Amino acid sequence: MISLQGVHKTRGRYRLEIGDLRLGAGERVALVGPSGCGKSTLLDLLALVLAPDAADAFTLELEGSVQDVAGLWRGRRLDRLAALRSRHLGYVLQAGGLLGFLDVRGNIRLPRQLLGLADDGGVERLAAALDVSDQLDKRPAALSLGQRQRVSCARALAHAPALLLADEPTAALDPVNAERVMQLLLRQAEAHRVTCIIATHDETLARDAGLRVLRMHCRRDADGGVIATLGQAA
Amino acid sequence: MRPLLIAGLAWQDYRTDARLSACAVLALVAVIAPLLVLFGLKFGLIGSLTERLQRDPGVREVIPLGGGRFTADFITGLAARPDVAFAIPRTRQIAATAELLLPAQGRGVTVEMLPTAPGDPLLDGAVAPDAVDLRDVVLSFTAAEKLGAHPGDRLQASFNRQRAGEVQWRQTSLHVRAVLPLAAFERDALFAPLALLEAAEDYRDGRAVPALDWTGELPAGSAARVYPAFRLYARTLEDVEPLRQFFAERQLLVSTQAAQIAQVQSLGRNLDLVFWIIAALAVAGAVAAVAAGAVAAVERKQRELAVLRLLGFGTAALLLFVVLQALYSGLLASGLAALLYALAEHGLNRLFMQVPGEYAAHLLPMHYLVALLAVLSASTAAAALGGWRVARIDASQGIRDV
Repeated sequence: MISLQGVHKTRGRYRLEIGDLRLGAGERVALVGPSGCGKSTLLDLLALVLAPDAADAFTLELEGSVQDVAGLWRGRRLDRLAALRSRHLGYVLQAGGLLGFLDVRGNIRLPRQLLGLADDGGVERLAAALDVSDQLDKRPAALSLGQRQRVSCARALAHAPALLLADEPTAALDPVNAERVMQLLLRQAEAHRVTCIIATHDETLARDAGLRVLRMHCRRDADGGVIATLGQAA
Repeated sequence: MRPLLIAGLAWQDYRTDARLSACAVLALVAVIAPLLVLFGLKFGLIGSLTERLQRDPGVREVIPLGGGRFTADFITGLAARPDVAFAIPRTRQIAATAELLLPAQGRGVTVEMLPTAPGDPLLDGAVAPDAVDLRDVVLSFTAAEKLGAHPGDRLQASFNRQRAGEVQWRQTSLHVRAVLPLAAFERDALFAPLALLEAAEDYRDGRAVPALDWTGELPAGSAARVYPAFRLYARTLEDVEPLRQFFAERQLLVSTQAAQIAQVQSLGRNLDLVFWIIAALAVAGAVAAVAAGAVAAVERKQRELAVLRLLGFGTAALLLFVVLQALYSGLLASGLAALLYALAEHGLNRLFMQVPGEYAAHLLPMHYLVALLAVLSASTAAAALGGWRVARIDASQGIRDV
């Protein structure tokens, strides 16, 4: 489903190099590694919000057709990338990334509205599954961090995406809440047969959740810059 | 792109930021409301002055000075001009007086006789005398008042002349068709068909008047008739000056109120210029304020806009989001400014205007519509100008902080 070969991205003195990354449909993996080793950069590349500087191959297989992401970036097909993002991707951000001017219901419903999909009761079902049913009419500012993360998970899954990306979704939570959010997220991802890539610095949590772990490494080059690479499956 | 969804989202964000939105609205009201008052004053005052001039037919009258010799054909040619509303020959002033008597009341009055016909602006909408019946007349208000006459009454009219030191008289009966309102003509006057004035003139000149069974030393029609003057009214205020020029080119001296009309028109033009200079400065300031507001909005909402971009909003959709919020400000500001203007208009008109139909400040529905469209256009252009920064919003940067 996901294939990256020879993908490079440089930001200042930081350089991410992905030699080879292939993930099949429905696979669930965790990106682990210390802070600043490129987990978020890799997620942003996969979320189609960050253009690679170079790529031998960068493709996503979505609904049976292969999308040449590297080619779309080269051709500056930004609207096409936005459309792919809107239809096929769900992204759980570290701090929730909820829109403050919408209530919880509006936040969860928004990805479906953008696709012109009718509300089939999925918003309420997801809210119930993620235990935020009684928060639907509240604004994000009125929620706890854990509740925001669960609403963010619901929003990321509302439009049944093919690929779910989560950037440190439990980083700001206490261990009990972290495990709860992770379990709820993965249960929903499994129920919807979504390919999952979750960035976390908590390898134990990832392993306990049954995720295949991919470890990211950092090293210094001769000029003092940082080079981040993706290691083999641990 | 789903414009309705974007409009809904933009509105919800606009409402959430109520205080900042109110500031944007008030900043626009501060520009629009004074402009509306200024334009209302200009339109109201100049409109009322022009209306006042337009209402008084005397302002549009072109009066020939000195003794002229005009043929009926020449005056008919004048009447046919598109810039002339009404033209009719006048007989000699000395032959254009009559003494009227209402036998039932026993009162008499000497009046000036004015030739008239359908379309005469001095009749102020009253029915004109029957052109075929030279005994059918219209009385001015003061003449009717002095005689105690009413429409339908019959009057005795006397015309005199001097022959070898002897005063001679001829009388005829006249039918009062209508009485003019006082405002239409304030002197003692008799509006009659031209034929009656020609008859009076012929009698004074010693010619026979068969239509009234008056005999004379000379037969009727013994000389080709020429007229010393005419009554002529321009169709509009703007037509007065060209008509004056027309007569001046023919060496015919006329008296007009062209200078007074030009004064009002010049005042209108000068106020126009002042208004547009102020409007241009104010609109430039408003455009700058809206553009700066859009730049600030993009900066302030960078995180939310980054999330929207992550969810699939393209640059055009994000720009629409920003522009729509400027349009909401424009709409609300237009409504509030119109309300404030209406209050100001009411106050100004109560304070300065006593005559019904005249205004110190006045706007037509079309003016409100034009103002609304101008505000929305300027808001859209300014917000689009400032909002172009959304193209620079990098979702991968913005989403890290939300």
